Amino acid sequence: MLLLGLAVVAWVVARARATRLQTAAPKGAMHSLPSYHGWYVALWALLPACLFLAVWTNVMPGLVTGSVLENPAASALPEDSFSRGAILAEARAIAQGKQAAAFNPLAQPLVQPYRDAQSRFATGGVILSLILAFAGAAYAFTRMRTDFRARTRVERLVMGTLLLASLIAIITTVGIVASLLWESLRFFSMVNPIDFLFGTKWSPQSAALGYGNDDAFGAVPLFWGTIFIGAIIAMAVAIPLGLMSAIYLTQYASSTTRKWMKPILEVLAGVPTVVYGYFAALTIAPALRDLAVGVGIHGASSESALAAGLVMGVMIIPFVSSMADDSIAAVPQAMRDGSLAMGATTSETIKRVLIPAALPGVVGGVLLAVSRAIGETMIVVMAAGLAANLTLNPFSSVTTVTTQIVQLLTGDQEFDSAKTLAAFALGLVLFIVTLLLNIVALRVVKKYREAYE
Amino acid sequence: MLTPEQEALKPNNPKMTARDVNVFYGQKQAIKQVSIDVDMDNVTAFIGPSGCGKSTFLRTMNRMNDTVASARVEGEITLDGDNIYSPSMDVVQLRARVGMVFQKPNPFPKSIYENIAYGPRIHGLASAKADMDVIVEKSLRRAGLWDEVKDRLHDSGTALSGGQQQRLCIGRAIAVEPEVILMDEPCSALDPIATAKIEELIHELRGRYAIVIVTHNMQQAARVSQRTAFFHLGTLVEYGVTSDIFTNPRQERTKDYITGRYG
Amino acid sequence: MTTRNPTDWKSDVMRRRIARRYGAERRFRLLGLAAVLVSAGFLAFLLISMVGNGIRGFTRTEILVPIDFSTAPMVVDPATLKGANADQALANAGLPNVTNLAAIAAFGPKGDELLSPNAWLTVRDAIKADPSILGKKETLALPSSTAIDLAAKSKGSPEAEAAYAKLAQANAVSTGFNASFLTASDATDPTQVGIWGAFKGSLLTMLVTLALSFPVGVATALYLEEYAPKTWWTDIIEVSINNLAAVPSIIFGLLGLSIFLNLLDFPRSAALVGGMTLALMTMPVIVIAGRNAIKAVPPSIRDAALGVGASPVQVVFHHVLPLALPGILTGTIIGMARALGETAPLLMIGMRAFIATPPGGVTDPATVLPVQIFLWSDEVSKGFVEKTSAAIIVLLAFLLAMNGLAIYLRNKFEKRW
Repeated sequence: MLLLGLAVVAWVVARARATRLQTAAPKGAMHSLPSYHGWYVALWALLPACLFLAVWTNVMPGLVTGSVLENPAASALPEDSFSRGAILAEARAIAQGKQAAAFNPLAQPLVQPYRDAQSRFATGGVILSLILAFAGAAYAFTRMRTDFRARTRVERLVMGTLLLASLIAIITTVGIVASLLWESLRFFSMVNPIDFLFGTKWSPQSAALGYGNDDAFGAVPLFWGTIFIGAIIAMAVAIPLGLMSAIYLTQYASSTTRKWMKPILEVLAGVPTVVYGYFAALTIAPALRDLAVGVGIHGASSESALAAGLVMGVMIIPFVSSMADDSIAAVPQAMRDGSLAMGATTSETIKRVLIPAALPGVVGGVLLAVSRAIGETMIVVMAAGLAANLTLNPFSSVTTVTTQIVQLLTGDQEFDSAKTLAAFALGLVLFIVTLLLNIVALRVVKKYREAYE
Repeated sequence: MLTPEQEALKPNNPKMTARDVNVFYGQKQAIKQVSIDVDMDNVTAFIGPSGCGKSTFLRTMNRMNDTVASARVEGEITLDGDNIYSPSMDVVQLRARVGMVFQKPNPFPKSIYENIAYGPRIHGLASAKADMDVIVEKSLRRAGLWDEVKDRLHDSGTALSGGQQQRLCIGRAIAVEPEVILMDEPCSALDPIATAKIEELIHELRGRYAIVIVTHNMQQAARVSQRTAFFHLGTLVEYGVTSDIFTNPRQERTKDYITGRYG
Repeated sequence: MTTRNPTDWKSDVMRRRIARRYGAERRFRLLGLAAVLVSAGFLAFLLISMVGNGIRGFTRTEILVPIDFSTAPMVVDPATLKGANADQALANAGLPNVTNLAAIAAFGPKGDELLSPNAWLTVRDAIKADPSILGKKETLALPSSTAIDLAAKSKGSPEAEAAYAKLAQANAVSTGFNASFLTASDATDPTQVGIWGAFKGSLLTMLVTLALSFPVGVATALYLEEYAPKTWWTDIIEVSINNLAAVPSIIFGLLGLSIFLNLLDFPRSAALVGGMTLALMTMPVIVIAGRNAIKAVPPSIRDAALGVGASPVQVVFHHVLPLALPGILTGTIIGMARALGETAPLLMIGMRAFIATPPGGVTDPATVLPVQIFLWSDEVSKGFVEKTSAAIIVLLAFLLAMNGLAIYLRNKFEKRW
């Protein structure tokens, strides 16, 4: 706060001086507007001081603890680092007012030294940063001349900030890859990757109970469940409905119908997945189970692949439909006219000319939809179940990669166990697969677009 | 109503006739009171400056304007005496009988064979594969393309050159045995050699089909047609024997256009 | 070459064929219509079933209990009722006891079990609102227990249904608006739960998300669209952003877990970490929307500004950004709406704890609305079904409002250059 105020003062003072300079200087001699000089000085006041404060707040706890340990009262502390740390933490909490009284009697005498050290270092930090701010401002102030290019400097800083912001995307990507890779490597040091990728038995619980890791992490049932729900059942729902909706809305519907129905279909994509999951678990799954039991299908479970896939398919409809819409719209009108002029009906034109011509685009869209479906989490967590079955029966319960990631990482965690690390290995597989699907899909779509340009 | 000159030209067996046709796009009138007879035995050319309505009028002749939601047609157009805008006229049949070739070649993204077979297939004109082979060969021969593509019938139609594509489109139209072929500036996207081939083709097709060709190229109209209609601002200004129109136009506006005053 | 005869269109074969083709045409068209209607019907089904289940979550069953305060075993100094400690004073005065005794007096030995354990809070509020009732006999509508509440909605156990029938016969029940659903937080008893805690958690999380993703997203969009040179470096940035937009949300949860929690040691379950994780997810959406909005600003405006001697930075901040802002805002709102409904990554970073008090700041343990819905959906007690649906209604209402705002903005500021 103080620093901000100082920066404002610096801005005002510098601008005022620059204005004076400007009036004094011959017309046109001043390179930059006074306010740019103001910004320049203010930034010099603010940035070094802030940088210093950031470093200081990170270093301070260590310094404080160090000085407390030098206090005579600290000599009574036990030697082993764990209980020592606990007592120190308690003293710190009391000193900061987060805790009313100490549980450990050893903590109480440390409170006062803690408080002293803390206030000492805090004041020191503030004073140092204020000095830095003044120094920075003064340095910048002395550089102010009529021909000084303050604007260029400020703009360079703006550009730097923009560049820095755009780097966050890369950092995030790198962060994802690095964290997934790192934890996965640790996992693969405990479990053979071949067993993981090709094993057919998934029972991380037994591994956690100490039966060994060797055949507990076979992820094939998970992959199958993911494909079964996301790429087979969901697509069996989403492709016909999405494609036909797009065809009807673009080729047949009146413009009023289109205006109303398109947003309504898009709402399907906006409904949070947790709502779909709840709906699938509460309404669809029991209904399907009753149906299956009614017609005598064995193995019907109240958490079924079909319920999850069905609802996921509905969620994907607007996605498929908008991709199909785009690809059909990209087919040149001449193609349609050519077919109609031969005496083809609209449906013959659509089936025999438009869809074959739009096929690459539609396929690309479907690939994107698949990548979205297999990464979808909440619906399968709530409706698909946890049993790692390798089954073709859509009424039975299957589990998916995302479900297991959630399952492995929630509840009490012991982070370094193979069980939790397995979640990262699954995440890595998921990441790679969705990435590949996206790259292929985008390439297909792009090639298709170019064909008609 | 027909002008006296048109009455004089009126053929014994007009294939298509138009009487007092008006076309509107929303509020805008694109065609005003056009009356014309299209002869079975002659090639008819529609000429005129761009935007004069000649293409629009061509599209009303096989009801391609139906695909434009705001278009509205008044008046009467007949094919062999039947009004094509009457409710009893089936538009699918009509378009099979009145084929169309477009400004830019628009082969379907299928093989050459499938491009030709498309029309006969949807209309059910061939029952066996052998029949279809016959139709494809005959249509390609008539379109003057057979010798060039007979060895690669299953290559994509879009892989052909522009002129070949346009002849493929003509072959595609011929394959359903139409009675009239409408051509909307069929050579405007082609080079001179390809254009010459198309013009030659039009000569050969003459007499078998009633042909109407829209062109902005007056030399082309003079070369390929026996009857010429000059359109200007949505009206039919003059219609007559091609040689008369080009050597001895009756209307001042026709003369101005032909001599290059505007265009 | 033989000449084929022109097709005889009037033949019976042809007529039948054409009729068949028109039949196919009609069927295809109906199929399309059916697809649209099935999709829309599913949405309607979902909404109706949620509203049907959820609307009762906003109401509660109340039991009319006569309380005679003049004879009640409690001592309250009216003066304390005015101070800040009124709540404390009344609680100490034995109000819960008084309430239970009154219920027993009215409905027999097990009368106190008919009421919610929190029923005395309603009595307290009644006394605070009007201290004069302390000397009188009053009939108050008090919230019922979960069992009775379920029985009132004909979903309860046989015993509860019987007890409810008896109450109904005595005209002692009514239905009131459950205000505490909007003001309370999570609890173990379904009649006492509320969404305020989760809602506040959502709000804080969204604040963090917005504060981080909006500036970064806009800055990235500006850089890529206005300044970035065409180099491999820029390509990498673009590819990263497009990929991030397609990465499954749960992967962001894994990132948050391993980087923010394990590596940087931020507080678990906090809105801060949740907001940061969601910000990484939302940023690509904002960047893509922002780039499109910036692209839509015609180059002529840039040329005009450059022509009068503005520097590239001035051009962007004085001209391009203000013109692109509505588009950027629309994209931001859509991204935020997506983040608001997101559940999976937040489960990864521990925002699924049972949190009975609303979070006070971004570092306090918190939960968010969708996660709360997820947690309630897992509850065994039947009373949670309607509460879950009710929470979904609230969430959907918010999302609808946000999307409506985005559409309104888009329509209002949509310009064709």
